[in-house]
Amino acid sequence: MALADFLQQLDDLAAQAVQAFGSAANAEALEAARVEFLGAKQGRLKAAQKGMGEIDKADRPAAGKRFNEAKEQIEAAFKAATERAAAPAAAKKSEPLFDPTVPGTAFRLGRLHPITQTIEELKDIMGRLGFSVADGPEVEDEWHNFEALNIPREHPARDPLDNFYLAAAGKAIGSGTALLRSQTSTVQIRVMEQTPPPIRIICLGRVYRPDTADATHYPMFHQMEGLLIDTRVTMADLKSVLRLFATSYLGRDVHIRFRPSFFPFTEPSVEADFHWDGQWIEFGGAGMVDPNVLRAVGYDPEKVVGFAFGLGIERLCMRRHGITDIREFYKNDVRFLHQF
Amino acid sequence: MLVSWKWLQDYVALKMSPGELVERLAMAGLNHEETRPLGDDLQIDLEVTSNRPDCLGHIGVAREVSVLWQTGLCLPVPQPAAGGPPVTELTKVAIECPDLCSRYTARVIQGVQIGPSPQWLVERLATLGIPAINNVVDVTNYVLMECGQPLHAFDFAKLAGPEIIVREARPGELFEAINHKSYPLERGMCVIADAQRAVALGGVMGGAQTEVSASTTDVLIEAADFAPLSIRTTARRLTLHSPSSYRFERGVDPRGIDWASRRCCELILQLAGGRLAEGVISVGQEIPVREPITLRLAQLPRIIGIEIPADEVRRILAALGCPDTARDDRSLTVVPPSWRRDLTREIDLIEEVARVYGYDRIPEDVGVPMAPSHRSDEDRVLGKVRQVLLCAGFDEAITTSVVPEDWVGVFSPWTDAPALQTSTPMLKGADRLRRSVIPSLLEARRVNESLGNPVIELFETARVYLPAGDGLPQEQRTLAIVSGGDYHRVKGVVEALLAVLRPGTQLEAVDTRQPLLDPVKSSELRVQGQCLGYLGELSAEAGKQTGLRAGATIAEIRLSVLVGLADLIPKHAEQSPYPAIDRDLNLIVDESVRWAALAGTVQQSAGECLESLRYQETYRDPKKDGAGKKRLLFSLTLRSRERTLTNEEADGIRQRVVEACHQAHAAVLLGGV
Repeated sequence: MALADFLQQLDDLAAQAVQAFGSAANAEALEAARVEFLGAKQGRLKAAQKGMGEIDKADRPAAGKRFNEAKEQIEAAFKAATERAAAPAAAKKSEPLFDPTVPGTAFRLGRLHPITQTIEELKDIMGRLGFSVADGPEVEDEWHNFEALNIPREHPARDPLDNFYLAAAGKAIGSGTALLRSQTSTVQIRVMEQTPPPIRIICLGRVYRPDTADATHYPMFHQMEGLLIDTRVTMADLKSVLRLFATSYLGRDVHIRFRPSFFPFTEPSVEADFHWDGQWIEFGGAGMVDPNVLRAVGYDPEKVVGFAFGLGIERLCMRRHGITDIREFYKNDVRFLHQF
Repeated sequence: MLVSWKWLQDYVALKMSPGELVERLAMAGLNHEETRPLGDDLQIDLEVTSNRPDCLGHIGVAREVSVLWQTGLCLPVPQPAAGGPPVTELTKVAIECPDLCSRYTARVIQGVQIGPSPQWLVERLATLGIPAINNVVDVTNYVLMECGQPLHAFDFAKLAGPEIIVREARPGELFEAINHKSYPLERGMCVIADAQRAVALGGVMGGAQTEVSASTTDVLIEAADFAPLSIRTTARRLTLHSPSSYRFERGVDPRGIDWASRRCCELILQLAGGRLAEGVISVGQEIPVREPITLRLAQLPRIIGIEIPADEVRRILAALGCPDTARDDRSLTVVPPSWRRDLTREIDLIEEVARVYGYDRIPEDVGVPMAPSHRSDEDRVLGKVRQVLLCAGFDEAITTSVVPEDWVGVFSPWTDAPALQTSTPMLKGADRLRRSVIPSLLEARRVNESLGNPVIELFETARVYLPAGDGLPQEQRTLAIVSGGDYHRVKGVVEALLAVLRPGTQLEAVDTRQPLLDPVKSSELRVQGQCLGYLGELSAEAGKQTGLRAGATIAEIRLSVLVGLADLIPKHAEQSPYPAIDRDLNLIVDESVRWAALAGTVQQSAGECLESLRYQETYRDPKKDGAGKKRLLFSLTLRSRERTLTNEEADGIRQRVVEACHQAHAAVLLGGV
């Protein structure tokens, strides 16, 4: 075959292929065109390639060059057509258009109550400091809620008007001494009664005091209580543990301050503050476990010593999230819950 | 406790600024509330803890200042000159109730001239917010605020008879206080009476009839000690709180009573004239002698964590009024002063020394030894339970444990025993300890409905309180769910919980009757032969009763059962390397055939190659299948552990299942033979 004929043949082939790919209306037509022109066995390009054998040896480099150009042209046309088929042109109004700006498929994830989130974070931090979570009943007897905590009968904290004492069908239960615990310190007593030292626990849970509900008070709230008992424990350990805790919770180094205070179950008793954003913020009450408490659970205060601390979880949570009314926690408005 | 900046300087030099003063006092135990300038003075509000009644007077605060700044304390020594007859000729005192009043002293001044107080006294009281009345009453208030000992002045002439009787109130006895209100008294309250009537409510408030007035000439000055518990109860019962009751509730200095009486008389003589009767009438118990306390110096570092020099320890205690009576290298023994009844033990002295030495000297960076901690199984299970519920789209609620009486009957599957009752309601009308969380969550749902919240899916994990005879109640940990979805939505959540905690656990749904629930769409849920909880859609009547607009489904689950069955450390099992084959079935059965029964037959008949059985749906086509029929569609996944199953083997198993279901349940394969 003459070179000129061969080149003409290639030009025609390329033109027809471009035309065919360009006008393929759908995936089927495009596939048919692909098989016709680019088919590996029967394709027309393949056939044209075989025609090169009939070209003079001297003309072959020119023919080969032109063949490669035609091949590239056809392949490019096919590629363009394939892409068009995948993303239909805007001009084709009848076909639906993919809209990537439509929201993803919705699914609803629930939220943990902010109080639980705070509790879990406290447990996590205290766990890393070696404190395990202990648990105890919310309905208590006077021994665990008062007596063993060095709160004698005459103490104002035992006033019936300041506690929720319990009765069943109008009859007092637990010999008249059962009440909703007014503090989580009850768990300290239960743990110490059943466990020899050393002890490193926290207890978190509901406590109850007959306060009138307002923006900062609620008759039910949550406390965290920590207790560490060992042979050598001092107020310096207490201060250091509280500092580790506060630093972990707040994410940067903070300092701790003690102010003298008074609690029946610790002595010395302190209010602990942490320094944050240029001011001292109340952390909670703390102190060295009172020897009377150690004796009440059968420990020898000459042999073991320890510290305890407690804090209100609602207050911590309110400060963290900017909640200004404690009653929000117990309304359970899902819009409130979904903020956290 | 309000303190005057100027008044304090009567007893101690204030060389520091007011700011420094309150800062240091706060660090030593007297919290600063606020400081207000009044005239040329400052009113300083200090918070005094209940163990420190000695700081409820200026002298006590001044003593703290003198200890902290190591400056002298200068106290008046009252020596009123007596010019009248012996007091025993004028009056008598009898204490009939030593339990309520341990000590009573009386002095009498005759011929006083009642009139206004001098300016300095009026100003001092004004700084503390106390209005001036007349010179005698103002002096009693002044001495109260000076030393913390309450005093009362009676118009001696208005007493019926010369004798003072301290006795318990008679039930129903009426008492008119100086505020001119009448109070019905009860047993356990202490009154000061003359021959006819109560003339004062001991330690709480004086009476109107013997009040000092412009015409008064003779006064009887009472300084006494009353029982703290009785005073507190009295003040609370009558809602009659006074500066006196506040101090008696916390305890006064037994040796300060006579000092206060003399100081009061001295000032009255100065400001109102008159003649003081000779001597004092003082009746009551012996003032107990204070026991010495030994402080072992080694206990200071043992408790506080720092060494404090022995000389410093001695100085602090002496300045606080505890001079040592004996000492050696390792300890010192002190006798605490009468005004510090809170100091009885070694640990009390340790606290005193430490707070004065300064808690700021305790380091905050000691190396606390490491210790292991562990999470309880219950905590781990609870974590997984919460995860599942959050993924299922439920929000966690927290509701109160004490609920109104009419809620407790709504749903109580765990007990028939009446709910425990609290002595005072927690919130308005709420005085029952809940036996189920469901009523609380239904209320939370109602509140959310009223707010127009479209999706209200709530759960709570909390305790319910099941009465147990005379003992403490059983506190059952409970998971409660209230959903806007149907029975199967919530059942799916429970199944997901089981699948996470122990895969393969069979959940049984057994018919139950609960008043709150639809009789058909409700079940008792059982696992491993025990009751897991209850599940059901609210009955139509219950929906109305609870005030809900739309239907709801509830479940209440015992967490202890979940904890018991949970496999927290699952073991790996070798997976078959051969491919699985799926077979779908569509069986027509009578309506009465339940899925659980059919599934049991499928599992038995399919043999060991059955990897999983999946329910797909129930379909009804009465035209084609006839009335009372339904189609159960399900899929089998078949896989062998030994080889690749052939299609023929899979068809064989499928055929076996179809035949077994036909035998057991008269099931017919759709379009089959």
